[in-house]
Amino acid sequence: MQAWMWLGPVIMLFVVLGFVTLAILFERKVIGWMQSRIGPNRVGPWGLFQTVADVLKLLLKEDIVPQKADETLFKLAPVIAFVPAFAVVAVLPFTDSLVFADIGVGLLYFIAISSITTIGILAGGWASNNKYALIGAMRSAAQMISYEIPLVMALVGVIMAAGTLNLSGIVEAQKEMWFIVPQFIGFVVFFIASLAELNRTPFDLPEAESELVAGYHVEYSGFRFAFFMLAEYVYVFAMSALTTVLFLGGWNPLFGFTFLPPLIWFLLKFSLIVFTLIWIRATLPRIRVDQLMQLGWKVLLPLALFNIFLSALLKEIPGIGSYY
Amino acid sequence: MRCTDIYIHPSLLGQGLMVRISFDGVTGMEYWANYSMTAIFFLLGLALPAAAFTVGRWLRPHHPSAAKIITYESGVDPFGDSRVQFHVRYYLFALLFVIFDVETVFLYPWAVAYDTLRQDVGLFVLVEMLIFVLFLFIGLIYAWKKKVLEWK
Amino acid sequence: MQWNGEFLAFFLLSVMAIGGAVFMIHFTRVVHMVLALAFTFLSIAGIYVLLHAEFVAAVQVLIYTGAVSILMLFGIMLTKHRTSDHSDSRSRHQLLSFVGVAAFFGVIMWVIYHTPFSGGKAETAKYTVANLGEWVFKQYVIPFELTSVLLLAALVGAVILAKKERDA
Repeated sequence: MQAWMWLGPVIMLFVVLGFVTLAILFERKVIGWMQSRIGPNRVGPWGLFQTVADVLKLLLKEDIVPQKADETLFKLAPVIAFVPAFAVVAVLPFTDSLVFADIGVGLLYFIAISSITTIGILAGGWASNNKYALIGAMRSAAQMISYEIPLVMALVGVIMAAGTLNLSGIVEAQKEMWFIVPQFIGFVVFFIASLAELNRTPFDLPEAESELVAGYHVEYSGFRFAFFMLAEYVYVFAMSALTTVLFLGGWNPLFGFTFLPPLIWFLLKFSLIVFTLIWIRATLPRIRVDQLMQLGWKVLLPLALFNIFLSALLKEIPGIGSYY
Repeated sequence: MRCTDIYIHPSLLGQGLMVRISFDGVTGMEYWANYSMTAIFFLLGLALPAAAFTVGRWLRPHHPSAAKIITYESGVDPFGDSRVQFHVRYYLFALLFVIFDVETVFLYPWAVAYDTLRQDVGLFVLVEMLIFVLFLFIGLIYAWKKKVLEWK
Repeated sequence: MQWNGEFLAFFLLSVMAIGGAVFMIHFTRVVHMVLALAFTFLSIAGIYVLLHAEFVAAVQVLIYTGAVSILMLFGIMLTKHRTSDHSDSRSRHQLLSFVGVAAFFGVIMWVIYHTPFSGGKAETAKYTVANLGEWVFKQYVIPFELTSVLLLAALVGAVILAKKERDA
């Protein structure tokens, strides 16, 4: 491990932090626009420094550890939640030359590492020693584990078509046809499940402020709270990039429009996914907890399993078989 | 072994441009370089909170008072113990999760090797996975019929 | 023994794995124990990476760190988890455990030093997921199908237990 190897990841860390800063502002602006409001417009031109101001405010807030809390674990939990969120960024291929860790099992690495965050959330909720926090954490964990299954099952079709778990290899396999077309069922299941994994509307039950106060992070203040939020938005970054890589052909251009560089193509598709996430938040109401579990286990999981065998059968049909 | 792509690795820019050839199996120095990179991401992920909390300690006020550090319960004094016993359905979903997670461990290598297996053993590859998934699906249907997938 | 990066990584990961295990025994609160155990699982995944078994490493994190730890945490939440576990410190008990552990350690070390490890290097280039899939689904079809029966039994058992609990 030499010193120069750190340069790329450090730049990436700042890119991710920059993305989070902008994404939060963008989200508030877009939702404001969709609800005929202006959104943040006081701090800096076009409210550009709103998030920066918010982060600085959080940095200056007192760090309160509740008396009954389990102090060590309470302090450690946001870190457990954040570290995997950033670690998964390592395997994402942005272009064919811009990939940090081009490992053979990239896709599985992403899924496996991201599941560690659930432990951080549970630890935070439990360590707070607060009723709302613990119930919120348990709900959150139950939701995240329930939707991880359809999420991974929906990707089997993609892996069958690409024949590799390496993310660069999966993008290469989409040169002629993006997987969103042949793997449409897989895409729909994956996208819904990823919304639930990200705890975003309509699956934001863990943070249902109207019923659970704020869920697992109710006792957190200042920068410890900020790290839970940061982890969430870093996952938005990672998951949108993963969706782009798996279903939207990564850096491959549309209609052979190669005059735009690959990175721009990637960013365009990536921004589209991020916008869709915000759009859904502004559109759909929160679903009920009983509907949540039914949807995951009774609709998405059977659908994902069906998609596997449908893909296998469509492989046999001459003509379109080569796309599967 | 299949040559997937030739590319310039950003981490190598510091040493001048180096063109690397990446293989499907990612072996040798490649392998170590890639996994060192994941380790660096883990360490940076730890370094950011460490740095932020250290800087925060210098900047933020620290005046704990008895009222401030009391457990929050919508403004009412907290009563009872917050570490309540949870309903068994939570555990059941966790068990279902572990079982289906194990299933994915088999599905993924199967999907990766599907095309090769299809050529070697024909559609038997599909049948063997169909039997495997069917067994677990029976389990899911059973849980469904016994109404344990309901969340009331 | 050569002091290179690989050895250093192995050393660190071993210390992490053993440290997690020691903390797991040392802690008195069950939630802390599970987290220490999860840390050990994660370190072991790192050791798998060093052995070029990347698929096994990813599966280790997915199943053990991600799933089994959560299962244990959910299991703890079913109980009255407010109390911490105070192990009794009877000296005779401790002495017996120590003798048992020492004997086990002796046996393990003896086995390690007397096992003839065939020399030669493994062909790590063959350790791909594709090859793994081919081996499992060609040569080990019957054990693979039996796994599904085992998983089904576990699932049905879980449902019956949950049913009983709810009716009671």
